[in-house]
Amino acid sequence: MTAALALTLNALGLYAIALVLTVAFAAQLILHELPCPLCLLQRIQFALLAVGPVLNVRFGPRPSHYALSLFVAAAGAAFAMRQVLLHIMPGDPGYGSALLGYHYYTWAFIGFAVAIVALAAMLSFDGQFAGDKPPVTASAFARTAVWLVIALSALNVVATLLECGFAACPDDPAGYELLRVVVL
Amino acid sequence: MEFTLLFLAVTIVLLAAWYGTRTLALALFAATLVACIATYLHHASAVLNLSF
Repeated sequence: MTAALALTLNALGLYAIALVLTVAFAAQLILHELPCPLCLLQRIQFALLAVGPVLNVRFGPRPSHYALSLFVAAAGAAFAMRQVLLHIMPGDPGYGSALLGYHYYTWAFIGFAVAIVALAAMLSFDGQFAGDKPPVTASAFARTAVWLVIALSALNVVATLLECGFAACPDDPAGYELLRVVVL
Repeated sequence: MEFTLLFLAVTIVLLAAWYGTRTLALALFAATLVACIATYLHHASAVLNLSF
């Protein structure tokens, strides 16, 4: 695999992360599914997963950049599995509604597992790391992907501030705490 | 509030990865990941009000 192909695949990975963050946003805004603390932590891991691909796009592909994303994917999978296990008892309705038969945290676990496999697959192609290459110039396709993820992460700062306000986030959020404080 | 700060930290890490030096981005990344795990452990050690 050439470095150019690896960078294209990294950009596609960034678009995939942007898609996950967008779907989570859509569920929050359209279906009024407010994320719980563990759900927010999983969302944060998806955003943090983007650091490896962004570094690859900026400085060229390196194994250490993929390793960063592997650490995050492992942590995210652990957080998601914790929430799956909290609702594992028969009869437990789970947190929030289901999407295509699975709750969001189950999809999150699947997403992190897929990320781990994809990262391992990328690491197995040595050709992208061969030779001393000068810093690459990112394509418009890759730059757009980077800015999309940064924008979605910044939007989540605002959304989480609105949901939690300046106090600890409630375990079962029913509304936007900051708006409630401002309105009352 | 802690999750707002974590999202803010992630946004800063992404900006550092895109504009800053590699060393700065790696240091900020490590600090943010440790903060995420610490937040998780804090929540995981809280008392659970289970219904069974």
